[in-house]
Order: sequence, then structure tokens, then C-alpha cells
Amino acid sequence: MSVLNVFTREVKFAAKDRTLWLWLIVVLLLSTLAVGSGFIEVKHQNATIQRLIDADKQDRLTEFETVKSWGSAAYYGFHLTYAAPSNFAYAAMGLRDTQPWKHRVRMLALEGQIYERDVGNPSVALIGRFDFAFLAAFIMPLILILLLHDLKASEKTAGRFYLIEATVGQPLFFWLLRASLRAGALFLSLVAPLVIAGIIARTVPATLALASLLVFAYLIFWTMLCFLTSAWRRSGSVILMSLFALWIGTAVLVPAGAKLAIDRWVPVPAGADILMLQRETVNAAWDLPKDVTMQTFFTGHPEWASYTPLKNSFDWPWYYAFQQVGDEKTGHLTAAYNNGRLLRARLTAWASFLAPPSLLERSLQWLAETDMNASLRYEKKVRAYHSKLREFYYPYLFGNEPFDKAALKNIPDF
Amino acid sequence: MVGYQLHSGFNTMQLQAQSLCVARSGKDVLSGVSFSVNAGEVYALLGGNGAGKSTTLLSVLGFLPIASGRIRISNKEVSCDIAAARQAISYLPESASLYEHLNANENLDYFLQLAGNATCQQAMSAALDQVSLAPEVRLKKLRTYSKGMRQKVAIALAILRDTDILLLDEPTSGLDPSAIDEFHHTVRELANKGKAILMVTHDVYGACQVADKIGLLHGGTLVGEFSATDNERINTETVHRAFSATAHTSKTTLATQGP
Repeated sequence: MSVLNVFTREVKFAAKDRTLWLWLIVVLLLSTLAVGSGFIEVKHQNATIQRLIDADKQDRLTEFETVKSWGSAAYYGFHLTYAAPSNFAYAAMGLRDTQPWKHRVRMLALEGQIYERDVGNPSVALIGRFDFAFLAAFIMPLILILLLHDLKASEKTAGRFYLIEATVGQPLFFWLLRASLRAGALFLSLVAPLVIAGIIARTVPATLALASLLVFAYLIFWTMLCFLTSAWRRSGSVILMSLFALWIGTAVLVPAGAKLAIDRWVPVPAGADILMLQRETVNAAWDLPKDVTMQTFFTGHPEWASYTPLKNSFDWPWYYAFQQVGDEKTGHLTAAYNNGRLLRARLTAWASFLAPPSLLERSLQWLAETDMNASLRYEKKVRAYHSKLREFYYPYLFGNEPFDKAALKNIPDF
Repeated sequence: MVGYQLHSGFNTMQLQAQSLCVARSGKDVLSGVSFSVNAGEVYALLGGNGAGKSTTLLSVLGFLPIASGRIRISNKEVSCDIAAARQAISYLPESASLYEHLNANENLDYFLQLAGNATCQQAMSAALDQVSLAPEVRLKKLRTYSKGMRQKVAIALAILRDTDILLLDEPTSGLDPSAIDEFHHTVRELANKGKAILMVTHDVYGACQVADKIGLLHGGTLVGEFSATDNERINTETVHRAFSATAHTSKTTLATQGP
């Protein structure tokens, strides 16, 4: 009997298995729900960004109608920054739920602005989002375990096991094929909504292919685990409990243990400390003689050393100088915070090789650009943009240039 | 009760166990068991619960490792090529439960394909006719079948596989008297076609009716063997006395089985 005939025989047999069909429908529905909710969220975020882009322009135009100096233009001019979701973000929302992806920055101290985020329900953040990555990484192994744990045990219970083994020529191939076909069918049910959404979202085909390949490899891993465990001469319930224990170990205990160890090993300054230091520096500047602040500022920016602030009245360049001094004072904490987060992310990535569910979820988040690296990249872009704003305004402010409203059209875009 | 024509005239030795010893979980479950089954012969291994009957069958199929001794199928060692040995055997497990979500024809078709046999609707119908499974139920799912009907489908499968050797594990367990009678008739027909049949049972009466040879298994040891002659079937009383004696020896109560 050719391999194709054997394959066809088992496909026909599996097609008559109502339990398998039930699970396929369940997986298809769950996948549609997960992909659909991600798709709606991405659509919502894109719509929000588009709405904010329009509102941001209009708001600035309105503000600039009344400003009469470079300083007030910089003060009242808010600028939208954002990280639009990638066209694969619908599959893995990742840190977009907890890390900010949009800001309205102005030319004040940046550190106080960059960690601002929308108020969210912490309970919801704790539960996490039911997205495709979560479904594939954490739920699918459970479904595979339920479907495959008694691959042999159920046949033993039904009194067919020895009949089958005595009848088929190559029992190992037979059981492997039976397990693979079921896992393959589940894979197709799982991935179909992902691919359809990818076509609609115009996801790069290579990204879709790589994501499918990762999920496929992951399901093979769990199928093999189920297959090997099902060969164990124990009852179905013992095998089921053993596989559940394995899932809890790899999906919960290892990631949680690794997170505890990494957090302990890589201390990261608290964001609140950065904010406090920056605020205290800025607030303290109001009570210091202007020269003290300016000398500190000129040390880092000698190109504006020729500027002399007004002594007896409010002075915009002095105001922006102490804002920047406030940022620079927290520079070491900010660097430690960013480097610490990056190191933690790298170590967590390595640790996830011991926890396949986390590895798949992280890989999909990496593909979707919703991981820590993407979040830090966005922060870097915001910092770079904020620097551009300073580069635009400083020559006018510290050069004592007369105010020219028309020049505001040249403010750099994000 | 139907009297069967014994001894089909085939003399080729198909299945032979020599000094078979098998241990499970460190405990000897078969000790020095020897028997042989020729083509056209029905050999019944008779014994009570835990006598080692099913262990013998699983050893013949290569599912249990043999501590010592040998099993030969058509003069070839089973341990040398288990796959080839299994190809030569049709195995009917106790309470054979085929797939309940398939009908009789689908079950036969699937298991025949598993065995690598060509499937033919006419042959399947003929086999189901032979085991007297009513045509009107053949397209119904097996979950609607009685135990006897399921057993008939399993026997039809054994017929269709057309192997030289049949291993039957408690084939009449749970069947009603008329179904047992039909089954014995089918077994004799198969033997008359040259099949070597090894069946294990605790049904003394049934074994005496259908078997050419009976081996009495007790505590993993073959304690007696009875053969029919050309003119005379195995005497039920003799076997029954021997069977009861083994039960008394071990101080256990073995229910005397009868149809």
C-alpha cells in the first residue's frame, strides 16, 4: 500500500471522527475570535492615530494663531508622536496593551512626558489579551493534550489496541500518522483565520509564512510530547495528568521562576524615581539664580554660551534650559532603566528556550513588532523627535531671533 | 448441538510453542508451555482466570517478551520477524470492539486496509453472510449493535484477512447460546479450509465441541492435553474433571462454564 493510500485511508477515517470535528470547530472559533479581536483592536488603534493626526494639526494651528514668541510657541505647541501597529500586530498585541504607543510631546523636559500613558484597568492588564499568540502558545497545547493523550490508551480501553498493532505492518508509523493528521488538522483550523486576516491586512507574506512555520513547529513539539507520553503503559488519566503537569511547568512555572530570577539579578531603577528626580530638578531651578542653571546648561551645550538671560523677568530660553538640565540630570537613571529593560528582555528571551509557550508568544510578538524592543525603538524615536524640536527652537531662542510665525511651518514632523 | 467434522486432513505445523516461559512484572506467568497447532486444526487453550491464556496469545503475537523458549510460525521464529509473523495471523481480541462510529462495512474496509488487504464489497458481503449478520444492519453504526453482532463483524474480519493462523481470545464470552453455536460452526468451517486456529477460552463445553486438541492451562503451566481422534470428539466429562481438579488444587473457585 503506497504512502498516499495510507494517508488517504487515515484522512477518511479521521473525517468520520466526530470528536475531532468538534475540536476543529472549537479551534476555528477560538482562532477567529482571537484574530478578530486583534484585528478590531488594530483597526481601532489606527483610527485613533489618524484621528489624532488630524486633531493634532488643527490644535497646533489654533494655538499658533495667538502665540507671540518662540518660547510660547514651543510651550503651547503639542506634537503627536505614535507607533502605528504593524500589519501583523493583530496576531500578537504584546506590549501595546501595557506600554505607551502614542504621546503628545512639547519642548518641556521629556522624561516627565515619555512615561505618560492612558489610564488602563490594571485588572484587565493582568489577565492579558486573548490574542492569536496567546491562543497558539498557551491554549493549543491543552487542546492537543486533550485530543492526543489517549491516542493509544483509548484503543486499549476499547479493546482494539492489540488488534490494531497486530494488523498494521508498521505500528510506529501508523500511530505517528494518526497523531500527525489530528495535529495537522488542528493547525489548519488555527492558522486559517490568521492567514485570511493577513491577506486583508496586507501582511508581508514572509511574515505570515514565518509565523505559520513557528506555530507549526510548536505544534509538532507538543504532538511529539503527547505521542511519546501516550506510549507510556499507563491509563489515559495518568497520561493526561502528566501532560498537564508538563504544560503547567513550561507555561507557568518556568516563565514565572525565570522572571523572578531575572528581576532579582538585573535591578532596574523605578520609573517613578526618574520622574521625581527630573521634577525636583526642574522645580528647584525656579528658586536658583538663573546664572547657576545657565552655567550647568552651557557645560553641555557650549554653542549657546554667548546667551545672557534676562535678570529681572521671566526668560523663555532660561526656562527651556532648566527643562533640559532636568532631563540631563536623570540621564544616568534613564540609561540604566532602558539598558536594564533591554537586558531583562534579552535574558527572558534566552530563558524562554526552557519554556516553549513563552518562546512562541515572544517570537510572534517580535514578528508583530509588539515586543520590548519595538517599545524601546518607539521611545528612541520620540527622544530623537524631541531633540529635533530643540534643534529647531534653540537657534531662535538662544540667538534672540525676532519671532516669525511663518517659520513655524518648518517645525519638523514626527 | 451440532456435531462438527473434526480433522481436516492438513498436517503442516503452522504454530508451535516450545518450553515457553514469560514473566510479567518479575513474576512467572508462563512456565515451559509447549503446544503446536497444525493447519486445519482447532486448538483450545482452556483455563481459569489468570491461568496465562491471554498471555500466551500476546506472546505469540510478539507483544510480550519471552524469557525462554521459542515460538515458531510456519517454521520461522516469531522473535526474528515479528511483523511477518503478525501478517500471517488474524487476531480476534476478547470482546473485540471495532470502531463504534463506523458501520460494519466501513469497519471491515478500514481494518482490511490497515492489514494491507485488498477490499472488495462482494467479499465483505460474503463474509458478513457467512457470520449471519443481517444485511439490514450492515450500514448502521456499530454503536447500535449488540455484543454478538459486533463479534460477528470481528469474525468476518478474521475471515476476510484470510491468514493461515487465527488467534481467538475468549471468542464466545458474552454471546448467547445460538450465537456461540453459529460461531463454532464458522470456526470449524475455517479449520476445514486449512486454517490453524488457536483459541483461548474457559468454556469447557464449547472447547470440547469445536477443538481438535485442548490444552489445560493452570498457573502458567500446561497441566494436560486432550486430543480428538478421527472417530471420537474430546470427552467433555474427562476435560471437566481435569479442569475442576486444577481448580481444587489451587483452592480457588472456578466456575464451570457451559453454553
